[in-house]
Amino acid sequence: MKIMVCIKQVPHQDARLDVNGAGTWIQEENIKFEINPYDQNALEAALQLKDKEAGTEVVVVSIGPERVTQSLRTALGMGADRAVHVKDGAADGSDSLGTAKILAAVAKAESPDLIFAGFMSDDGNLAATGPMLATLLGIPHTTTAVSFQKNGAIQVERELEGGALEVVELNTPCLVTTQTGMNQVRYASLKGIMAAKKKPIDVKTVADLGLAGQVGADAAKIKIEKLYTPPKGQGAEILSGSVDEVVGKLVGKIKELGLL
Amino acid sequence: MGSILVIAEIQKGKVREASYELVSFARKIGAATNREVKSLVMGQGISAAAEELSKKGGGEVFAADDAALANYNLDAAFAAVKAAIAAASPDVVLVSNTPSGWDLAPRIAASLDAGFAPDCFNVDVEGGELVFLRRFFNGKLDSRLRPTSLPVVATMQPGATAAFDGAAEGKMTPLAVSIGSLGTKFVETKVASAKGVDLTKADVIVSGGRSLGGPEKFQEVIKPLADALGGAMGASRPVVDAGWLPHEYQVGSSGQVVSPKLYVACGISGAIQHLVGMKASNFIIAINKDADAPIFEVADLGVVGDLFEVVPKLTEAVKAAKG
Ligand SMILES: Cc1cc2nc3c(=O)[nH]c(=O)nc-3n(C[C@H](O)[C@H](O)[C@H](O)COP(=O)(O)OP(=O)(O)OC[C@H]3O[C@@H](n4cnc5c(N)ncnc54)[C@H](O)[C@@H]3O)c2cc1C
Repeated sequence: MKIMVCIKQVPHQDARLDVNGAGTWIQEENIKFEINPYDQNALEAALQLKDKEAGTEVVVVSIGPERVTQSLRTALGMGADRAVHVKDGAADGSDSLGTAKILAAVAKAESPDLIFAGFMSDDGNLAATGPMLATLLGIPHTTTAVSFQKNGAIQVERELEGGALEVVELNTPCLVTTQTGMNQVRYASLKGIMAAKKKPIDVKTVADLGLAGQVGADAAKIKIEKLYTPPKGQGAEILSGSVDEVVGKLVGKIKELGLL
Repeated sequence: MGSILVIAEIQKGKVREASYELVSFARKIGAATNREVKSLVMGQGISAAAEELSKKGGGEVFAADDAALANYNLDAAFAAVKAAIAAASPDVVLVSNTPSGWDLAPRIAASLDAGFAPDCFNVDVEGGELVFLRRFFNGKLDSRLRPTSLPVVATMQPGATAAFDGAAEGKMTPLAVSIGSLGTKFVETKVASAKGVDLTKADVIVSGGRSLGGPEKFQEVIKPLADALGGAMGASRPVVDAGWLPHEYQVGSSGQVVSPKLYVACGISGAIQHLVGMKASNFIIAINKDADAPIFEVADLGVVGDLFEVVPKLTEAVKAAKG
């Protein structure tokens, strides 16, 4: 079986977020990046299947600049077999659909039996790429998986609201997007990291994929016109003073609420 | 001029509140751009619900009534949407940002080769053009999204606007759907397993977030304050994902929705999925080292500082005040 895992490199959860000069994205210089947390669960789900089924190949795919190589190496270190890196400025500024078109071109060449993608990315929170990719490939999908089983048929528990779950069965090939908490993500072992150095990363351009002019900023059907710090509403009364003063005020309030 | 198509959702036999919120947004766009509002209702035995929507602002309501639509199923729902799109020729398709919306809406956008604006909290019309407003980075930054062409598909956050509750006579049109073979199959829905802790009954909840860094910190920092206040511990999702606390402690859209007399959020950023679970609390105190954290928007009192410094001191002060 061949499994494709879509991973995106995103600003680290603790990275400082400043809007860039153009006001359309964040300032990416000098911040830390990591594999999107939701995609880490996607990769883990694929690796767990590989552990169970001999002969399973896991291919990780990512779009982005040179820095993405590091995330791909991490994924290979965790146990993925190969990586495809679409590294091309012509992909910059793609909307979700453009991103899905690039991934679809890769998937067509790879023809995986199963595709995992994170439910959303931690930067854009758009939750669009996975289902769009499945649509372009004409295969079924499901979203927000919190468990995955393959006993002949594929069965997924997807998360609904308020802790409810929906059990869905899917024909293969199919695409599943993964929710955080679905599994405990492994670390790359030292041995894994060493082995990863010899694993191939196949670098591709947009033109290699036959998509010149069809993706990127100019082809986007929707654009981020402006990214900005949310206007401050009423908001909280922020207590000032030393920690002891602040704590004193909090206790005063708690008393006033009749809770002490 | 194309229409605005509302993809309504059925819950317990009725059109759900969030769908009437879509009607509000659709009518706003419709009034500003001179477009007609149309709707799709799908399910089994849904004609009464569809009829009701047609009298309450849904315009021409296409009713797709089929046994295959009884429970949400991607392929069946998508077939119904395709039939509705063929009938309504929409320029704008509005879907709720709900579990079925997450599944269905991006499929609609990709199949139409259209722009997609998910999880929006508002839509504006400026000089006849649509601008969608949504947050990026888990609520830390806002954005304006502008489609470069139509049609466009958007999902709107439940609760982002008031549900339309006026009367506006439309009509109901039965919609024939050819559902074909299914690539996905609905098996069942399950409710969360029985809970040991019922946070909804607590008067005081002290919640900790990812920044606590480990399960022991909940015992050392969060629990003592909760105990001193005679309350319960709560948590954000990453805490539960990491296995530091069981799921019953999770507050938010995929956990519990609580409204205690006092909610103390320690090192929680305030992502929308957490906020919907606690913003109805009577009084909210937020402690966060980032002055720009969205949690301060819903809090009544805020402390910008290190929780590891503030919370233990607060615990001691509460104990002292009790004597
Ligand atoms: C479908 C879906 C459902 C979800 N359901 C839920 C849900 O039910 N509940 C939920 O909570 N989330 C839910 N989430 C996740 C949600 O989007 C956020 O990722 C999550 O709430 C973030 O948790 P957090 O605030 O603990 O972590 P972060 O967002 O990482 O925030 C950590 C905060 O801690 C602060 N901090 C760090 N160190 C300190 C310190 N020493 N002192 C003080 N402050 C400090 C930081 O400034 C930051 O604001 C859901 C997401 C999705 C997509």
